[in-house]
Amino acid sequence: MRTTLEIEIRRCRPLLGTFVEIAISGTNAASLERGINAAFAAIEKVHRLMSFHDPDSDVSRMNRDAFPENVIVHPWTWKVLETAQQFAQETNGVFDIAIARLLASRGYLPKPEYRPDNAATWRDIFLRKNCRVFFRRQLVVDLGGIAKGFAVDRAVAALKASGVKAGIVNAGGDLRVFGPISQLIHVRHPAKPAFAAGAVRLSERAMATSGVYFARRRHCGRYVSPLVNGCSGRSTRDLISVSVAAAECMVADALTKIVFAVREQAAGVLARYRADALILERDAAPSWRFDSSCDTPNGTQSD
Amino acid sequence: MKSEFAFIALPISVLVAPSTFAVQYLNVDQAQRTIFPGKSLSAAPVKLAPAQRKAIEQASGVRVLRDNQQVWRVSGGGWFIVDEVVGKHEFITYAVGLNANGSVKQIEVMDYRETYGGEIRNENWRAQFVGKTSQSPLKLDRDVKNISGATLSCRHITDGVKRLLAFYEVALKRG
Repeated sequence: MRTTLEIEIRRCRPLLGTFVEIAISGTNAASLERGINAAFAAIEKVHRLMSFHDPDSDVSRMNRDAFPENVIVHPWTWKVLETAQQFAQETNGVFDIAIARLLASRGYLPKPEYRPDNAATWRDIFLRKNCRVFFRRQLVVDLGGIAKGFAVDRAVAALKASGVKAGIVNAGGDLRVFGPISQLIHVRHPAKPAFAAGAVRLSERAMATSGVYFARRRHCGRYVSPLVNGCSGRSTRDLISVSVAAAECMVADALTKIVFAVREQAAGVLARYRADALILERDAAPSWRFDSSCDTPNGTQSD
Repeated sequence: MKSEFAFIALPISVLVAPSTFAVQYLNVDQAQRTIFPGKSLSAAPVKLAPAQRKAIEQASGVRVLRDNQQVWRVSGGGWFIVDEVVGKHEFITYAVGLNANGSVKQIEVMDYRETYGGEIRNENWRAQFVGKTSQSPLKLDRDVKNISGATLSCRHITDGVKRLLAFYEVALKRG
């Protein structure tokens, strides 16, 4: 129950290439302040470790040296890689962090100086003991499809460790609500991002939404987007959006990419992670809804 | 606890959609106390000479749009700067705290405002502004607190900070 003495603080910093907002509530201003600083520090750390652009990040060090030598990464980077590989395995490569060469060639990431092997996939990434990473082929990984969600989870852990009881962390639309509160989350209109298409009420749960929104651009006369199916190499051009709710934001973040690529076929993996999904078409009408609490693995058609 | 993942679609007539999504996080005073808790700050605004502007643009590769920069000197060393960036879709006021050696201590967004100027030309959009005056502003922030779905990139702030670091070298650094 909320008391009348409850105070809320809401802060926003530019991190992870987007805007990260943290809103928390409690009764002690000083401890809220400490919590928010610890949470932003955790996100900054994820940013430093997993930035594609920073030459000293774990991601850059792996891309430079993990072929042909082992590179030791931070346990947090290791955890993200492990989860990414698990999703790659479960989806037979639809989710693939080794697709950065495609993103680079389409102008979403700076072109790497080295020449990645075009045949390289997630299967060429080896996670060895003691946080060592080895690439069997020259390849380029990008954790952009999962690190933001992980950063949100780390921030929530930091807030809880600081004694913060309730709040929300939102990193550019990937968010997580914790504590005895519920929050109304508006989902952007897939074709008109200034509009809200609708809303979802969340508590103790994370949610991520992927849409093409501001990211669609022309490449070789065709529209491309940064959402690429790792199996086919095709990128999503439809002005649709995919929202996924799950216990962890990292899981929700990765699952949006999978639902984007394979739509209804993601039902199995969604069910395994007890995640819910929602696809909005360009007119903002829901075309597919999957509710993990339902027994039907095919999901429920919404009207 | 299981959340209800019921999606509440909004009918067209009540689309929560004025042209802006705006949040004020901190005013100047709050931003100062957040970045430099317990310090005293004194205003030290700077007006740039044309040669200084040019030097900043050359060093940072970012255009300087205004001559006046809001700056505060921090007791015991350091600077507090309030700056604005304007992009195609956004208007953001933010504060940067610099350590005594000119390195970035902290960045806080003070005001975040998403605008979609290009779409206002559409008739349906314009209709939404009918009857709205400065006395009855659109209060999206009251209703829409959380948005899921990619927000804008923070590239303009990154550029702004680059410009402010060059500003420090040109206008604040001594000796």
